[in-house]
Amino acid sequence: MSATSGSTLLPRTSGGRKRKDRIMRGLMMAATGLALVPLILIIYYLLYKGLSSWGRSGFFTTDPNGNFFGNPGGIRSAILGTLEIVALATIIAIPVGIAVALWLTEYGKDAWFANVVRYFVDVMTGVPSIVFGLFIYISLVISHVGGSGFAGWKGSLALALLMLPIVIRSSEVVLLLVPATLREAALALGAPRWRIIWKVVLPTARSGLVTGSLLSIARGMGETAPLLFTVSVAFGLTGNLNSIMNSLPMQIFGDITSPRDAVVARAWGAALTLVALVLILNLIARAVSRRSRLT
Amino acid sequence: MTGPETTSKEPEKMSSAPEQSEQEAAPDLSAMGERRQGHGIKVKDLHAYYGSVHAVKGVSIDFPANEVTALIGPSGSGKSTVVRCINRMHEEIPGGRSEGSVTLDEIDVYSPDVDITAVRRMIGMVFQKPNPFPTMSIFDNVAAGLRLTGTKTDNLRERVHRALRAVGLWGEVKNRLNSPGIGLSGGQQQRLCIARAVAVEPEVILMDEPASALDPISTLKVEELIDELKNRYTIAIVTHNMQQAARVAKSTVFMLDGEVVEHAETTKLFTNPSDERTERYVTGKFG
Amino acid sequence: MQETRHQFREDLKELERQVLGGLDLVIGQLDRALESVSYQDVELAAMVVADDDRIDGRYLEVHQGILSLLARQSPVATDLRIVAALLHCIRCIERMGDQCVNIAKLVPLSGHDAPKDKELLDAIERMGQLARSEVSEAKDSLRTRNVELAQDIVRQDAEINRLNRAIFKRAVEIGDDLELREWGMFMILVARCLERVGDNAVEIAEQVVFVVTGLFREVADIGTSAETAQSS
Repeated sequence: MSATSGSTLLPRTSGGRKRKDRIMRGLMMAATGLALVPLILIIYYLLYKGLSSWGRSGFFTTDPNGNFFGNPGGIRSAILGTLEIVALATIIAIPVGIAVALWLTEYGKDAWFANVVRYFVDVMTGVPSIVFGLFIYISLVISHVGGSGFAGWKGSLALALLMLPIVIRSSEVVLLLVPATLREAALALGAPRWRIIWKVVLPTARSGLVTGSLLSIARGMGETAPLLFTVSVAFGLTGNLNSIMNSLPMQIFGDITSPRDAVVARAWGAALTLVALVLILNLIARAVSRRSRLT
Repeated sequence: MTGPETTSKEPEKMSSAPEQSEQEAAPDLSAMGERRQGHGIKVKDLHAYYGSVHAVKGVSIDFPANEVTALIGPSGSGKSTVVRCINRMHEEIPGGRSEGSVTLDEIDVYSPDVDITAVRRMIGMVFQKPNPFPTMSIFDNVAAGLRLTGTKTDNLRERVHRALRAVGLWGEVKNRLNSPGIGLSGGQQQRLCIARAVAVEPEVILMDEPASALDPISTLKVEELIDELKNRYTIAIVTHNMQQAARVAKSTVFMLDGEVVEHAETTKLFTNPSDERTERYVTGKFG
Repeated sequence: MQETRHQFREDLKELERQVLGGLDLVIGQLDRALESVSYQDVELAAMVVADDDRIDGRYLEVHQGILSLLARQSPVATDLRIVAALLHCIRCIERMGDQCVNIAKLVPLSGHDAPKDKELLDAIERMGQLARSEVSEAKDSLRTRNVELAQDIVRQDAEINRLNRAIFKRAVEIGDDLELREWGMFMILVARCLERVGDNAVEIAEQVVFVVTGLFREVADIGTSAETAQSS
């Protein structure tokens, strides 16, 4: 077969085209590398600086109220505080968020009011987290609602406000993926609307909803600014949501500027812990979504 | 009555398995109990709209009890819309509304005294694309109609088994009632959906192109089932496939542009139609 | 833009052309058979017998074509009636061809220079002309789907039946003359064949009415003997 046979039907790639392809590939790989570098550096630093804290005895079992000169203590109260505050935020945000998403997909649909709601939800996803903290501060903290100034539950509220739009948006996407034919089939059987939602729509969308919720929790876990104005910080284990509490972000915030090396090391350990918690949540979300029947 | 029968069949099954499974493969409506007198549907002067689009223009059709009536016509002729108005599914579509009367045995289904979910329980529907509930097992799918409507019953298992027998699916699924409904083949899924509709014990079954998504053999099985079903239910079937209408329906309605052009006994419509437009449609001169 | 189902329409038209062509063949056969009777032309009669193969062949072609069309195209309504009618008509054509052969076979048997009865011969010739005209009109009626023409055939057939009875009577009359008797009896047979050709043409007319109106009505023979009523 000669080199020129079929050249009119299937012309060979021009040299210039090949060169352009290679340049573009190179550029994209460079951009990827550029983005990866800080990410890798962050992970490296976290591990480098925080792993040693993890190894220290009592890191996870003591509170950070150790004496000034000796052992500064661990981060137990911070971890427990984060877990409590985020748990309460979850209990508030997720049911409300899913309910709003349900209303948008099942009842509101394309009505003008539903579109207004969607618009506001979108705006809320862009609001800086500090604003949520300030809002709660102005409305609940200053006026000492509930018999306390700074309190864990107020921090939960702020986090819930942060998590809510994320839950709503992701849930709506998943609920929209439930085929209309399923709702139709249930309607045609003579089922009332609410039962269709409860027994058909929600079970079908379940893993997608779980994934979305887990991701919003992971987000809420790491936010510092809202907690700044609502929970403040404590060192001991208070365990009382109606008072100031410790939390991982606040712990890190406070510790990192300390002149004591040990305390700074503790901050890194706390940061690593926080990242680990978020990572675990992400992995769970991914495992759940892989078993999903919709996505 | 079917309880003891079921258990006594078990030992037989094991000795003559191939014979039995053929029996079980045939639709067996006697499983549903003794025959009841059927109820027909009368549609009178029906108008239906999608927003401002006038899709159905003054349609009047009688669907006699215990008979299969087919609706044929080109796309957009309004036949699916008419059928959806019968079980009030049309109003679920945004912008969907209708006027006119639809009576099930003298009761107007649009009357404000009538509970809309009760209407849909009495008038079941089977759709073009099989739509079993993906999160439910075969058993749960058939039971779904009863559960979703909040029907209290102390013999749920029996009713599910009966419905599966009635559609001729029992033999194929009796050993895997707990496996997911979507694990079945297309034809089986559609028969599962029919079982689901039948389990609720409606009077009328509406079918919107029930076999158009199925392969030829499954199609024939569904048609055979329809032929059996008419003995207990009144059936209205919308179909694009004229040969299918010719095979299953006693009378056929030809619709065009939202109106009924001709409604006649199937044989007459396909050998000697009265209207020129019917003639041109069925011989393929247009459409 | 091409009409829908173009190939189907072409196939159907072709089948119809073949059937109409078959009728032409019958007319030709009939003409020659009648001539051979009038002039006692044995060679011509032999040709008629041999040529019947063409009509039989045409029958098989059309039959096969119809089966193929039914299997492939699922005709309905008017198309279905046309197909059913064509099947019926080609059957009639084949039978008409056989009747022509029967007539031709009688020629050598009836003797070369046998004396003939002029009245009887005229009646036979008249009958033959009527039969030929019936077949020709049947062809036109089918081609143009003309119901009135179809009804005219029925009218003509009444005349053929009358002639058939008249020929029978005449043959009986001349039966006393020994020389004429045998020839007379062969002429009765010829008349019978012609009468059957007429009946087949009437059947074709009935099919035309069926295609056009969708109704199948059998035309009762007017004032017939039981035998004639059964014949076809």
